[in-house]
Amino acid sequence: MTNRQWFFHVLKNSAAQRKGRVFVASASVAIAAAVVTAAIGLSLGIRQKLGGELKAYGANAIASKAEGYMDESLLSALSGVKAIESYSGQLYQAAAAGGVDAELMGIDLKRASGWKIKGSLPGEGETLLGVDIQAALRTEEGGTVVLSVDGREVPVRVSGFIETGGAEDRAVVMSLYDAQGLTGLTGKLSAVLIRAASDSLDETVRKVSALMPGVTVKTLRQVAYAEESFLSKVELLMALVTLVVVVASGISVSSTMGATVLERIKEIGLMKAIGGTKKMIGRLYLMEAALIGLAGGAAGYALGFASAQAVSMGAFKSYIAMPFYLVFLSLGLGLLIAVLASGFPLGPALRQSPSAILRGE
Amino acid sequence: MMDFITVRGAHREYQTASALRGVDLEIAGGVWCSIVGPSGSGKSTLLNLLGGLDSPTKGQVFIDGVDLRTLSENEMARFRREKIGFIFQQSYLIPYLSSLDNVMLSQYFHSMTDSSEAEEALKRVGLGHRLHHRPSELSGGEQQRVTVARALINSPKILLADEPTGNLDRENTKLIMELLKRLHEEERFTIVLVTHDPFVSKWAERIVTMEDGRIIKDEPLY
Repeated sequence: MTNRQWFFHVLKNSAAQRKGRVFVASASVAIAAAVVTAAIGLSLGIRQKLGGELKAYGANAIASKAEGYMDESLLSALSGVKAIESYSGQLYQAAAAGGVDAELMGIDLKRASGWKIKGSLPGEGETLLGVDIQAALRTEEGGTVVLSVDGREVPVRVSGFIETGGAEDRAVVMSLYDAQGLTGLTGKLSAVLIRAASDSLDETVRKVSALMPGVTVKTLRQVAYAEESFLSKVELLMALVTLVVVVASGISVSSTMGATVLERIKEIGLMKAIGGTKKMIGRLYLMEAALIGLAGGAAGYALGFASAQAVSMGAFKSYIAMPFYLVFLSLGLGLLIAVLASGFPLGPALRQSPSAILRGE
Repeated sequence: MMDFITVRGAHREYQTASALRGVDLEIAGGVWCSIVGPSGSGKSTLLNLLGGLDSPTKGQVFIDGVDLRTLSENEMARFRREKIGFIFQQSYLIPYLSSLDNVMLSQYFHSMTDSSEAEEALKRVGLGHRLHHRPSELSGGEQQRVTVARALINSPKILLADEPTGNLDRENTKLIMELLKRLHEEERFTIVLVTHDPFVSKWAERIVTMEDGRIIKDEPLY
């Protein structure tokens, strides 16, 4: 048997002798690794998912002209900006519905998926009424309302009602195409609503400004700030919880390994007496700790992966993509916790003189 | 010219007591020397100094011409594994290792493990049929025989034994002493054996008597 084979033979026997302690230590490491894996995986996934969830609540930047309208052809320039997740043109015009002052809003109806709508999205020649207008006119779904725009009066069918808590509550909302036709502003836009990645929003605004000369591009600060702020708070909370769990795991492993070192102190004394150096003896014990750490890290990754997916399924009804490097992070963390936590009680034991150990001091 | 083991004016103070109060001792190579005395006389402390397991508060210890004070921690560890074999009153066998593995532990720290050499060492002490038994499966006498094999596997120049038969009955004590006598005659290593048992001390060639941290008598037996 070579020295290396004998070394691992001893490790195996040692672990088999203390199955309970080895299990407890591995489990402590696994819990920490699982929490880190799940926290990072969820953090990355949440940013992705919440971004999608918050998207339904509107854009985070708006491009418009101080006066007049923009050409719809300017939209093509936005498709080349990587950080832009979506955009849509809108047309606004002062109008009246059944004699009640309202704003005519022509929008890309495909972007209205997050709105609270009673009824259905308007088809050709149809409109949604804001709830404030509905309340004033007492119109029913399927009824007709006469729209007055630029001196012209056009009856339109009401397909449903919209409530957003914002300007839409006092608007008449229809497809952009219909609004452009109704107002005689074909190919014109009042504004472009842009949804960009919140962590590079300011840079995206600068790029869009450069692509659309004469157009003012602003961030919708409130939306942008709230989203970033919320995501940052979630991530901070996860980081704090992760830190607490990792520290607790380290203490648990240290305590378990400390008990092991105490139990084996005479072994250490004997090994020193028969000529083992601190390095030789330390290697035996730390390698055992390293193997515990790797086992815990591997189990922790599996547990963390499953937990993150379970949470994601519960919250978002879908799985999240977890980066592969989390495997190595989990193994590395397991190794670090186990070796450091074992090193703490082992160090003082190795520094004692063999005679003091064997005397029982 | 110094003897193989030379101790000059060795003192060992602890916080609450003085274990050695100026010990001078010289032991020639190949001699079997017993150190006897009542409990607390400093016998084990002296043995620890000879083995480099402890260092004197004052004085010097020379083994084979080397002043142990000049050795660093790693040099001392090397010195112990190359020149000294230890037998303690408790066997200190690793409980999760077999007899063979316990002997190979010494080889591992010395240079390299050799299971056939370890097997031979165990056969020499009459344990050829107990190679794969763990300490819990061995009697007290058998455990001590494993420690003898472990102590001698690397052919040390000195065997230091601290009450090696302290936990054994008379029959096993006799077995261990006969074993040591045979091995000593075959290999002529120096033995320094601490005991309070007159039966054990009489196997030596020389008896050093200690009391209260000092040597009070030093006489050859033959």
